[in-house]
Amino acid sequence: MSFDPSARKKKKVDCGKLCPEWECRQPGEFEGIWVIGEIEDGQIHEASLQMLTPARNIAEKLQTWIEGVLIGGDKEALEKAAKEVIYHGADKVRIIYHPDLKVYSADQYALVLSEEAKRVKPEVIFVAATLRGREFGPYIANTLRAGITADCTNFDVDMKTGDVVMIRPPFGAIMLAHIKTPTRRPQMGTARPNVFPIPERDESRTGEITWIELESIPQRRAFLEEVTIIPQTELPIEKADYLVSGGRGVATKELWSLLEELAKEMGAVVAGSRKAVDMGFIPHEKQVGQTGKTVKPKLYIAVGISGAAQHTFGIREAGIVVAINKDPEAPIFKASDYGIVGDAKEVLPLLIEEIKKLK
Amino acid sequence: MKIVLGIKWVPNTQAVRFDPKTGTLIREGVPSIVNPHDLDATEFALQLKDKFGGRITAVSMAPPAAIMGLQHVIGMGVDDGILASDRAFAGADTLATSYVLAKVIEKIGGVDLVVFGQETIDSSTAHIGAQVASWLKLPYVYYVEKLVNYDEKKKEIAFLRKLEDREEVYRIKLPAVISVAMHSQKPRPVRMSYKIMAKLENPIQIWTNKEMGLDPRCIGLKGSPTIVGGITWTPEVPRKKEVFQGDPKEAVKWLIDKLKEEGVIPF
Repeated sequence: MSFDPSARKKKKVDCGKLCPEWECRQPGEFEGIWVIGEIEDGQIHEASLQMLTPARNIAEKLQTWIEGVLIGGDKEALEKAAKEVIYHGADKVRIIYHPDLKVYSADQYALVLSEEAKRVKPEVIFVAATLRGREFGPYIANTLRAGITADCTNFDVDMKTGDVVMIRPPFGAIMLAHIKTPTRRPQMGTARPNVFPIPERDESRTGEITWIELESIPQRRAFLEEVTIIPQTELPIEKADYLVSGGRGVATKELWSLLEELAKEMGAVVAGSRKAVDMGFIPHEKQVGQTGKTVKPKLYIAVGISGAAQHTFGIREAGIVVAINKDPEAPIFKASDYGIVGDAKEVLPLLIEEIKKLK
Repeated sequence: MKIVLGIKWVPNTQAVRFDPKTGTLIREGVPSIVNPHDLDATEFALQLKDKFGGRITAVSMAPPAAIMGLQHVIGMGVDDGILASDRAFAGADTLATSYVLAKVIEKIGGVDLVVFGQETIDSSTAHIGAQVASWLKLPYVYYVEKLVNYDEKKKEIAFLRKLEDREEVYRIKLPAVISVAMHSQKPRPVRMSYKIMAKLENPIQIWTNKEMGLDPRCIGLKGSPTIVGGITWTPEVPRKKEVFQGDPKEAVKWLIDKLKEEGVIPF
């Protein structure tokens, strides 16, 4: 079944039934998909480009366009980012410019973007759930009194009504909730970085760029005073080809140092489960899983991780998954390619030895 | 400094089990706790109070049992609590929930800083802080780790937050809303004496919609634009599921061979 675009117009909202604090809007007036592009250090954020993948899928189903939306105060960076957004699949780009928007400020950016959304009326807004996206995304949604669904892993369209179905794992990740916003536009959804791939870059793609040069903007109340870049000593886990990941079963100093040694010998990056974060072995940005990161290494070695759905959710894109666990009943064995039932204390030193021999 | 602390009373997800046949949550016998990341927020708020004085009021929107959550943070040193609790609030999504919380904060009045945890362990949307800030038309900073300074005269406060590859210092004009990064604090233990005081002095108020007087179209299910249209299983990722059980030496040899076959040895 395909979507009949005239169905958009058929949706009618009874304004009397709405909360008086919500502006009454007829869904039929809204069309097009916005993808908000985050610019960091003058570059378009990869996570924003990734959102063009689900946007294309939904745009095709709804037979509509994708508009990349950029905000900032540096014309050169905006222009450059706009081109990237088009090369990666947006049909057009809207640039909201004011010299005082050079530096990001969550509520100010959100208020400016909300005003523009009220004027332009996109039916969908996608935001990458980066740390900043998690800050300004729900602020925009609320300012528009729109529905927003966080951390989606897939999107679909209800072909009868044209409602976007936001698919997300509720807690536990064992089931997926299909969330809709039938009477409210825009419909907003976010996805964490690396849940979707970046669409292919094609420099021959063209698209219209609309500059909105604002005369005034809401006053800034949060000022970025200082930025200190922390030099990265190793790859972030979402970019590593080899990951050695630990959980409850190796959450002792002794076992954890064995795990680190294995990673070192293999040239792998250390990651972990939520338990490893809770116990202070790794920072949150090294957590794999629904509430951490989705990773896609060539090889993922899970040591002492029981394999709750919450965790294995983060390794569904991984190449080969290896599990080492004492408990033969641990669910991790059902989510891995090769498993060893055994004590990490015994298995890890042997594995380290064998890896050394291979080098 | 007048601080409001937002907390959520959540099922202890560590203790939750799923019915393997239906995939639904088995809720019976699952203890509830204060969302652990809200304890980071509580600690953060308490340190502000320790340094600059003032008062912390914890707020929550939940069924009456959540009063135990408020007692818990009062046990840590929070001064009092307000529980917005009414059947009419039930079924709320994050928009409708943040609306009630924002109205509670408005009703308290004169608040300088609203502090939330980064996200909850049972839904992890991280929406509420931003949404409350939007309802109250206040600035919002997510992922705060540390106080940098507080200028009481200018009513400005500066915080440090750590993103993956950088640290940022934000100076914000008060009133403002912040969320505290998870695991960024060491929450202090509950003191029995505070908890006993909390029971004796009864510093927790329950506000139903009679007290709040909110339009029924703005709360609960009616005030929620999103609906859950359905639930499906998470598709299983096909894996080989080969398991070796036996002598560890043999096991490791077996594994190395498999990894060689797959071509995933790093060198």
